[in-house]
Amino acid sequence: MTDRAGWRLWLPLGLMLLFLLLPFYWMVLTALKSQPELLNSPNPWWVFHPTLGNIIGLLTTTEYPRWFANTLFVSAGATLLSVTVSFFAAFAIVRLRFFGARALSTAIFFSYVVPPAILFIPLASVLIKLHWFNKLWALIPIYATFLVPFCTWLLIGFLRSIPRELEEAALVDGASWPRIMFRVILPLSVPGLISSTIFSFTLSWNEYLYALIYMFSSSNKTISVGLTTELMRGDVFQWGQLMSGALLGTLPVVLVYFFFVEYYVAGMSGALKD
Amino acid sequence: MLDRPNVLGLLLAAPASLILVLLLAYPLGLGIWLSLSDAVLGSPAHFVGLRNYIQLFHDPVYQGAVFYALMYTVCSEALKLFLGLGLALLLNRRFRGYRAARAIMLLPWVAPTVLSALAWNWLLNPQFSAISWLLMKLGLIHGYINFLGETWPARISLIVVNVWRGIPYFAMGYLAGLTAIPKDLIEAASIDGATRFTIFRRIIWPLLLPVTTILLSFSTIWTVTDFQLIWTMTRGGPLNATQVFTTLAYQRAINGGTLGQGAAIAASVIPIMLILAFIALRSTREGS
Amino acid sequence: MTEFSRRRLMQLTAAGALAAGAAPDIALAGYKPMLPIEKGAHLQMLRWTGFVGADDKHWKMNSEAFTKATGVPVSIQEISWDEVQAKSGLAAQLGSGPDIIMGFYDDPFIYPDKLVDVSDVCGYLEKKYGGFYNIARTYGYDDAQKRWIAVPIGGPGDAVAYRESWVKEAGYDTFPKDFDGFLDLSRKLKKQNHPIGLALGHAVGDANTWTHWVLWGFGGKQVDENNKVTIESKETYEALKYAKALYETMIPGVSSWLDINNNQAFLAGQISATINGISIWYVAKEKFPEIYKDTRNAPMPVGPVGHQTMFNLFSQAFIFKYSKYPNAAKEYLRFMSEKPQMAPWLTAMFGYVTPALKDYAKLPIWTSNPNITPYRDALVDNLPEGYAGKPGRAAATALNDFVIVNMFADVCVHGTAPQEAAKRAAQQLREIYGA
Repeated sequence: MTDRAGWRLWLPLGLMLLFLLLPFYWMVLTALKSQPELLNSPNPWWVFHPTLGNIIGLLTTTEYPRWFANTLFVSAGATLLSVTVSFFAAFAIVRLRFFGARALSTAIFFSYVVPPAILFIPLASVLIKLHWFNKLWALIPIYATFLVPFCTWLLIGFLRSIPRELEEAALVDGASWPRIMFRVILPLSVPGLISSTIFSFTLSWNEYLYALIYMFSSSNKTISVGLTTELMRGDVFQWGQLMSGALLGTLPVVLVYFFFVEYYVAGMSGALKD
Repeated sequence: MLDRPNVLGLLLAAPASLILVLLLAYPLGLGIWLSLSDAVLGSPAHFVGLRNYIQLFHDPVYQGAVFYALMYTVCSEALKLFLGLGLALLLNRRFRGYRAARAIMLLPWVAPTVLSALAWNWLLNPQFSAISWLLMKLGLIHGYINFLGETWPARISLIVVNVWRGIPYFAMGYLAGLTAIPKDLIEAASIDGATRFTIFRRIIWPLLLPVTTILLSFSTIWTVTDFQLIWTMTRGGPLNATQVFTTLAYQRAINGGTLGQGAAIAASVIPIMLILAFIALRSTREGS
Repeated sequence: MTEFSRRRLMQLTAAGALAAGAAPDIALAGYKPMLPIEKGAHLQMLRWTGFVGADDKHWKMNSEAFTKATGVPVSIQEISWDEVQAKSGLAAQLGSGPDIIMGFYDDPFIYPDKLVDVSDVCGYLEKKYGGFYNIARTYGYDDAQKRWIAVPIGGPGDAVAYRESWVKEAGYDTFPKDFDGFLDLSRKLKKQNHPIGLALGHAVGDANTWTHWVLWGFGGKQVDENNKVTIESKETYEALKYAKALYETMIPGVSSWLDINNNQAFLAGQISATINGISIWYVAKEKFPEIYKDTRNAPMPVGPVGHQTMFNLFSQAFIFKYSKYPNAAKEYLRFMSEKPQMAPWLTAMFGYVTPALKDYAKLPIWTSNPNITPYRDALVDNLPEGYAGKPGRAAATALNDFVIVNMFADVCVHGTAPQEAAKRAAQQLREIYGA
């Protein structure tokens, strides 16, 4: 009985993980291959003469560490900003039920449907007027445009799952609304906050179009933009370095997920309870 | 003052609203205006009414883009939902290493899209494809597959890559949804003698519906507006077979300089998105 | 004009590689600004990431030399060559961005009114360095307003890269010089299991290059001098038929090829010949010694029209009117085009960029190796984007919509009849050129 269950679990799971991970296995191989071996290999699924040259080259001849730091800064900033304002907005909509709550929640949801491809030209003229062009930190509010709708939506769901009796009791005790927000609701929202944090961080970490178009200086490049603009030279790509960079850039996000995955699930499930 | 819900509510909603109005609604308005003008890069624009839209209506490349964008979206969403749910059901069990499995299955979702698309490009390369190599060794095919060079293989390949990237998102969401289902409900049902399939169909699936709507609506939005993946892998080729709204808009507006038409292509997505968003909104929030 | 000796150039390159300080001192000698440089000027320049590493390095060294000579700091930003257009378009639209942009093809003609008149710089360079190639003039001189709107730099030129031993086995001692010979050779190579390969996907560089070359080689044109669509012609059908025959000799899968694919296939020994910039030879020289020994470059064959009909990438630098320091920017471009800067730059790249000024064809680097020589002449007899029409937005749109490439792919890959494919292309072109 248990054997059969094991087989039923491992076969489909194995196949699924194979599909999901195979490209990564290939990326790892490529990161370890020299260019001649990449093009002439008796078996593309193996590396016969592994080299660390690509990773070393990436770290020493490009500004990769700088791009990494930039990406970290922007992602952390955008996440902090978005989660904060989204929490406020969600609190206002769900717990305070102020007069604009319904309209706001609808507007926020609809604002998510705007495609970046239509936004990036007119948005550029707004940035020019604000003198935000080619400023690394400007990516923080820009990313908020696609993070806030999602986070707010997630947190609205989560805050709804918190029983109303809690704040009613606090109100009876004479607590003020700001106090309720910080002392009662905030601690209970931690799982929801964690999942929106992880989510925002991932989306910011991988953003490409805005970072490519709005940042001019090479000291302002993010990982994706830096790798694609400096290692894809005309019709010759530095495959080994590109893939090393992609893997190194994925690592921190995977670690974050590895440690917080339980909270992430818990937070999402809270949000989805209604 | 701060104790009055209406005052505090406005105050708390202000930052989010400010960001969205300034950096989203206002540029969106500008974008729609561009789509109604004869704007070209670097020249003043004049209002031309619906001319751009009428032109698009007769443009075979645009028609192709609408077709493929819809196909790309519908097929990828259906597959992602199905496979993501399957993966979540598997990962919902406590087996040895389930935590690690939950974390590594996220890789496709967290890796930078441009770079994973490049990796796929190589895996589907007509000369160097490691996939073709494997299939040849297994004796299943006799020559390397031209994955990205012919209409249908290219269309299907891009869908596969999109599905690959999106499965973890669905799996994660469904995992959350499954965790939220009270265990006693399922136990009670199995005591009553219900089969696992019946339990899934009668109890689990209905309870997962709200999650499904949310996951699906956000994912659909991303897929309809997907740009990086297609641009990196085919640039809309071969022969415009994989052109979608965003790639065509970028090609016309940025590379060709016809801003007005590019904006019209991008804006023509909005009605579709609004309908989707409206359906999503109704079925989640009002239903409860 | 004093001729730089080959040894001197090699020294320069070597010195540059060792210490960035070596070149500027030489560069400084004899430089005097022609225009009053604005006080406190500083420049931002956007260019494409060099196709070979030596490009960016030497451009930056020259740039530092300019700063040393004039006190004007220049910050250089690099992005992939196919993304320059997006940024320059945005800059033109917004009236803000880098002072100088190094773009491609028709870029300046999409927004000619936004650009600074650089007639003085171009006039000076023309006189001093033997004039510009016709193609350079087309991409820099605005006929409508009778002024230069961009300073031509040069083009990453194209030539044939082929495997000598395989071509010899096929019975050719030298690479054929005309279309018929090329087709015959390709057929023989295919028979020996060493097919050729030419990109037919949406490859901005490679696919456009060869399809236009074939089209024009038979005398086909997308539009006439008055921008009237003339693609439906006997010449076009002939070109399409030829391409179809050629396609049948190619390695499978070219319909998905982007710009990188032919390089990879060649370096892996999978194809015997292709049309490309010097990058294949250059990378082979550095990393693939076996392939390098057998790799030769030859001028592209000539079509029935009897003269070369090449279509190259071409790059020019333009200054936007929003720049606060137009004089400094002009001086910069003049400085960079002068021999003390241009010569070591071109030399270090092994001729990757074919210069727009004719006198630079005399540099010793071009004859230092017979495989570099074909690239020296890559700009002679070039035809421009949108030929025979006027440069501008419509031509740019047609190119970016891959109208010509897709017409060829339609016939080659999908087996559409030439007349039908040309008809479809004509429809699209009429839409673009406004009937």
